[in-house]
Amino acid sequence: MATANTAKKYAIEGIWNNNPIFRQVLGLCSTLAITNLVINTVVMCAALVFTLALSSATVSYLRNVTPRNIRIMVETLIIAFYVIIVDIILKAYWPQMSANLGPYVGLIITNCIVLGRTEACALSNPPVGAFWDGFFNGLGYSYILLIVATFREILGMGTFLGLPLPYFSSVYFDKWIMMVMPPGAFFMLAIVVWVFRTIQHSKEKETK
Amino acid sequence: MTEKKWYPVIYMFLITAFFSAIVIGLTQATSKRVEANQTLIFETAILSVLPNVYDPNQKLSGIQMHSLFLEKVQPPDQQSAGAYTVTQNGNITAYALPLEGQGFWAEIKIVIGIADDKKTILGLAVYQQNETPGLGAEIAKPEFKNQFEGKIISEPPTLIDFARPGAPLNQSSVHAITGATQTSVRLEKIINDGLKKWQQEMQ
Repeated sequence: MATANTAKKYAIEGIWNNNPIFRQVLGLCSTLAITNLVINTVVMCAALVFTLALSSATVSYLRNVTPRNIRIMVETLIIAFYVIIVDIILKAYWPQMSANLGPYVGLIITNCIVLGRTEACALSNPPVGAFWDGFFNGLGYSYILLIVATFREILGMGTFLGLPLPYFSSVYFDKWIMMVMPPGAFFMLAIVVWVFRTIQHSKEKETK
Repeated sequence: MTEKKWYPVIYMFLITAFFSAIVIGLTQATSKRVEANQTLIFETAILSVLPNVYDPNQKLSGIQMHSLFLEKVQPPDQQSAGAYTVTQNGNITAYALPLEGQGFWAEIKIVIGIADDKKTILGLAVYQQNETPGLGAEIAKPEFKNQFEGKIISEPPTLIDFARPGAPLNQSSVHAITGATQTSVRLEKIINDGLKKWQQEMQ
């Protein structure tokens, strides 16, 4: 029962109260880079959830034997380890996706959410809690990215998951080329953060 | 023990050794597969620019594709100046010339199919690129690539001309990509430099 409660607590924190994108405002670099096609975003998010959950758990597992002064080195090493595993698996079993994502898989190592969560949570919590924290922060990141990616792909390419949509891929719709370029991500992200924070803010007022 | 000065050094060393060992093991275990994937992407590109060897609508497995490549295509030799060839009764019927060069963001790797007259282009395949999605990345789309079919390689300085989008075309020019000037310019350079070099070596 205790574990179920912990998981629930971390779920609410990671997905809503303390969402990494619109609350902590972390990991925005990857948000700009890989949200132009929904399928790329799905794979990237899966890779991030995997890395974040397992590296948080590993860091937490080693937290009592890791000397404090070299902890960042150890954390980076552990994160890099999981990211390289994802990279190798994609290269071997899904080369097309590996080519699409290019260097961005490797850049998960520098995604501030991962180091941020290991520092903020994994260093001071037991492995199970740290695992859920990483997992739900990953999900919190993922659904925001999927919203951004859905709008960008539909408006910029007229497709969803690569399938042409009735109106948006016809000649009547002028594709917003801007949307598939990095600036498109800036605008979309800003709108999404704005909407979500407004909702969050009004909820907070109600509870007060 | 954790208070000792040498402890962090030993700790870091051990933990690095542990995680590296796993990564090295995994790399070793998948290296053959990764290599095979890359070879396959290249072989598919070669086959796709040669006439009458492979129908792109037909779904072939990796192994089938590889055996088709081995059966139909001859590796480059002295006479073909770096191009892969298809022969019939000992005569070369088509060339597939792999070319590469710097694109706007990263390296672009392509294959050009050329007929036995060494003048007519049979097709173009882009098998590695990392250009801007929706703009430069259009070089890998059929709308752009299919323009090259049947074009005639012209005389130097410009063997294949990239004309402005919408401009009238002749037998040696294709339309560049709207909004992707840099990618177009660089691809034009890769194709022209590559073809020039190849023609010189073929003489």
